[in-house]
Amino acid sequence: MYQLNKVDKKFPGVHALKAVDFTIGRGEIVGLVGENGAGKSTLMKVIYGAYQPDGGTVTVNGDEVRFANPRQAMDYGIGMVFQEQSLITNLTVMENIFLGFEQQFVRFSVINWKEMAAAARRQLKKVKLDIDPSTVTAKLSFAQRQLVELAKVLTLEERIDGDLVILLDEPTSVLAKEEVELLFSLVRELTSRASFIFVSHRMDEVLELSDRVYVMKDGAVVDMVTKADAKVEAIQHKMVGRDVDKEYYREQKQNPYNAAKTLVSLQNVTVPGAYKDITFDIHAGEVLCLVGTEGSGRESILRTVFGLEKPSEGTVQVKGSPYVKRNAQEAVARGVGYVPRERKIEGIVNGMNVYENMTLSQMGNYATKGVLRIGEEKALAQKWIDRLAIKTPDVYKDCGGLSGGNQQKVVLAKWRSGGSDVILLDHPTRGLDIGAKEDVYDMVREMCDDGAGIILVADTLEEAIGLSHTIIVLKDGEFQKRFDGSPGDKPSLYDLVHHMI
Amino acid sequence: MSLETLKPYFPWITLVALVLVVGAINPAFFNIGSLVTLVADIVPLFIMAMGMTFAIYIGGIDLSMQQVANLVTVVATVYLAQFGIFVAFICILCGFGIGALSGWLTTKQFVPSFVSTLATGFIALSGARYLSGERALSMNAEVRDTSFGWMFGSTGGVPHELIIAGVLLAFAWFLQTRTTFGRALKAVGAGELAAVSSGLNVNRIKILAFALSGTFAAIAGLMFSVKLSGGDANLANGFLILAIVAVLVGGTPLTGGVGGVVNTLVGTLIVVVIRSAMVYLEIDATMQQMVFGVILIVAIALTIDRTKMGTVK
Amino acid sequence: MAVSGTSDTKSTAGRINRDTLVKWAPLLVLLVLIAFFALMEPRFFSIRNFARILISATPALMVAVGVTFIIIMGSIDLSMEGTVSVCAVSFAFCFVWLGGTLNSWAWLALPFALLVGAALGFINGLIHVKLKIPSFMASLAMGFVGTGLAMVLTGGDRIRIEDEAFRSLLTVRWFNFPIMVYVAGLFLIIAWFIQTRTTLGRNFYAVGGGEALAHGSGLNVDRVRIMGFTLAGVFFAVGALLAVGRIGIAETATGNNFMFLSITAVVVGGTALWGGIGGVWNTLVGVLIVFVIGNGMVVIGLPGYVQDGVLGLLVILAVILSTDRRAISFVK
Repeated sequence: MYQLNKVDKKFPGVHALKAVDFTIGRGEIVGLVGENGAGKSTLMKVIYGAYQPDGGTVTVNGDEVRFANPRQAMDYGIGMVFQEQSLITNLTVMENIFLGFEQQFVRFSVINWKEMAAAARRQLKKVKLDIDPSTVTAKLSFAQRQLVELAKVLTLEERIDGDLVILLDEPTSVLAKEEVELLFSLVRELTSRASFIFVSHRMDEVLELSDRVYVMKDGAVVDMVTKADAKVEAIQHKMVGRDVDKEYYREQKQNPYNAAKTLVSLQNVTVPGAYKDITFDIHAGEVLCLVGTEGSGRESILRTVFGLEKPSEGTVQVKGSPYVKRNAQEAVARGVGYVPRERKIEGIVNGMNVYENMTLSQMGNYATKGVLRIGEEKALAQKWIDRLAIKTPDVYKDCGGLSGGNQQKVVLAKWRSGGSDVILLDHPTRGLDIGAKEDVYDMVREMCDDGAGIILVADTLEEAIGLSHTIIVLKDGEFQKRFDGSPGDKPSLYDLVHHMI
Repeated sequence: MSLETLKPYFPWITLVALVLVVGAINPAFFNIGSLVTLVADIVPLFIMAMGMTFAIYIGGIDLSMQQVANLVTVVATVYLAQFGIFVAFICILCGFGIGALSGWLTTKQFVPSFVSTLATGFIALSGARYLSGERALSMNAEVRDTSFGWMFGSTGGVPHELIIAGVLLAFAWFLQTRTTFGRALKAVGAGELAAVSSGLNVNRIKILAFALSGTFAAIAGLMFSVKLSGGDANLANGFLILAIVAVLVGGTPLTGGVGGVVNTLVGTLIVVVIRSAMVYLEIDATMQQMVFGVILIVAIALTIDRTKMGTVK
Repeated sequence: MAVSGTSDTKSTAGRINRDTLVKWAPLLVLLVLIAFFALMEPRFFSIRNFARILISATPALMVAVGVTFIIIMGSIDLSMEGTVSVCAVSFAFCFVWLGGTLNSWAWLALPFALLVGAALGFINGLIHVKLKIPSFMASLAMGFVGTGLAMVLTGGDRIRIEDEAFRSLLTVRWFNFPIMVYVAGLFLIIAWFIQTRTTLGRNFYAVGGGEALAHGSGLNVDRVRIMGFTLAGVFFAVGALLAVGRIGIAETATGNNFMFLSITAVVVGGTALWGGIGGVWNTLVGVLIVFVIGNGMVVIGLPGYVQDGVLGLLVILAVILSTDRRAISFVK
């Protein structure tokens, strides 16, 4: 009924979708799995109309269609229930359900609330949510909001003649077990009026709910299995299955770390809503990688070590003593450096130049009684521009104008030049080209040789395996397994995926 | 030379263009003597605008400056006889304290600076009205001359007020561009998240920024009251809006992180030139305000850097 | 990461309590103030005095209601002083020119004034939206233009409106309150109606609460903005008419003080500056708080300077109470 034929999508430098074939029939629930970067979200965006395919066709009931935007897709009955809530929280439930489509309840510019409420109640009934439609959305729990989003998508039923295709993007990540069960039984019931595409990193749930499952890897569909034939391990193998290029990750430069010198120690640390009861140590010269899917809590752990998130339980010790004030200032003073994921807004100050950014965390080293020794700052910047081959016309260039890779180098230079010896890397090679990535890997090895400890959240599993001495796998905020790997004796991709999903 | 590199210079270009236009219409404008007097007249406004720059530079705003200046004019007048020249310290302390209070409210109590400074302004006004007994007060001429006479008169054709303004400008510029504090201000204004992630004590920086704006408001108030030889709770009224305009037109956007005190100098001069332009263009006194507003809109439209704004609210 | 149901309901309940507090805090403050002043000086608690309060408050109330719509959208309008002056003056000219008394064609001056207000608001919105100038600056500059325009129109003179029919706004009382109070009440209800029962009103909230999402759902945010400023202009005009009705004079200074007063009132009443929350009833409470303080201080014989200080403290208190600290990481 709804079909993608050889759909292709390219972005600068990335072949996001490679001739993807995908079908979904009436009343089916189709699952979509793949690791981070496999192309799931790109595929979804093509389906609900946010992206247009560069090649291939999309057909609905045999007719070729092209959606310029999500609203057009909605006209064909394709709707998406978003992972990041797309409700305007200060509006009421009924306003959110009919957002953009209020006209039907308006007469002479006046809204007939009674009518809208009645219509809203009908929608809410479909998802078995028994609440007053005039409730302000902010008052609802996440589970309830999820159902309102579903109800919002189901309004398509009344608006169009055909069958609905509803995409569910990680709908269970904020739900408790009972709520997940409720959602699943609801979805099963609704198959009488719609088909569902269910995207999730939780393999067990996908297999429980779906009739068929598509497995994606590197932008292509590598397999499609029916519920009956589905086996978790087999799917996981299909999801990975690449060789890790050892040279690329400078594995040969990986030296054993100093197990005697502990830099950071986490004991039973919990941050509510992010992760629970995490314990690990990191030592001088060690690269420790936190592995898991989105929402597994990895980034949050990094931010906790940097003092940006405060644990409700457990202790974080840096170089033997626990945090007192638990803020970024203290972390920096203790020698912890943070290379954040959102480079442009958290890593560099967009608007300040190279040397200004480089000294931002260590201005005291370049000032006498508060007055900056700008000459020294510039010299520092020049030294590191040369050392790290940062591509910039001079030290005065606004960092906001540098390429991602060079911005990253500036951030790393900031911490290294300041003598930080615990470096937290959050998706450090995200958006960088090959050359820049290799530079980062070289720097990682150098920092280790200098005795720094690195906690890494990698972009890809290969990167995690290639770079690290130790890997800790997380799932939904909980510890799953720990792997130790010296060059030549590293865990395989499958080993990791097995515990992640 | 691309548009990109020219952008920071828009305010200068606007100023020069305005000056040339006015001069073309009436060459008497270029008379050095009258130019100097013109500029000396707006020194208190300029000082206030410099203070406002610090608040706006970190992305906030200080609406209390006018009332702080008012309060200081009263404080200066009331305590002049008692303390002579040292009343200046009291005044500055006043400004610093009120500014720090605004800063504390903004950072620790999460009250947006728009509101916190509005409120502290009311409190300062309260103090001004109380101290002055709701009357206009005047200074004892003798004490004023002995303590602050040096502020007036000129040396080598340069009025002392200008020198004072110049010194303050140099100080503010040095603070902004050459100290760790100034660098931190820029980071907080241009990228607060990155500033936090680099371990800066953002709260302390913000409090100090507001304390600074309060101090400059106090200095402006002091100069103004000495100049007019008196003080009352309404003396500085009208300055706030002009100070904000001077900062914004000079090229320091409401979002902060860009621009600074030198920009504010240009902005203040633009405001002054627009005002005198209307005199030279022989625009009717009644029309001046309106023309001022229109030129202002044009100047703002030309000088703001739209690339730095996300959604325009 | 699973969030258990119980912790969720607990936080929901916590949120409800905070929301309830936010909703009722300003009203509680108002009631406490009234009680306080009444206790200190029984004369405060008389119909005559309440009428006095309302008479002085109604012009500001209209202006504050107008700017409330803008603030709900997350923007701000600082042009009220200029707009009010221009509306007052143009009304006066038109009124006098058309006959000078409500019984003649001069009644047309009333809708004329509203049109002037709408036009000024429209231009304000246009400059903000089309030139992409932040509302703060655009409206501030427009305020200058407005005051200037009023000055041009009057040449600095005052225009007296002595028509008995028009002055009846103030002089004629129904049940002890002058007509202007009822007029203000009518417009307040109209504003409430717009806010709750029209798409435009709800769109203000959508823009304030989630502009990107609203835009994504097909809302023409630019149009909503411009309409919002135009509507504010109309209410500024009503405020101008009431101001003129109250003192019988229209001049350039008619608009003075409205800026601080109205914004303070809106903030004290509990409408958040970043938009999406609050409404006209909040503004009513806020305006009453401001004017009750003003009046109360005089009645109990407190010196005027205390007024400002108390107002400042209340503003801070109002914002602290109504801010959800967990929702914001930092504030500028």
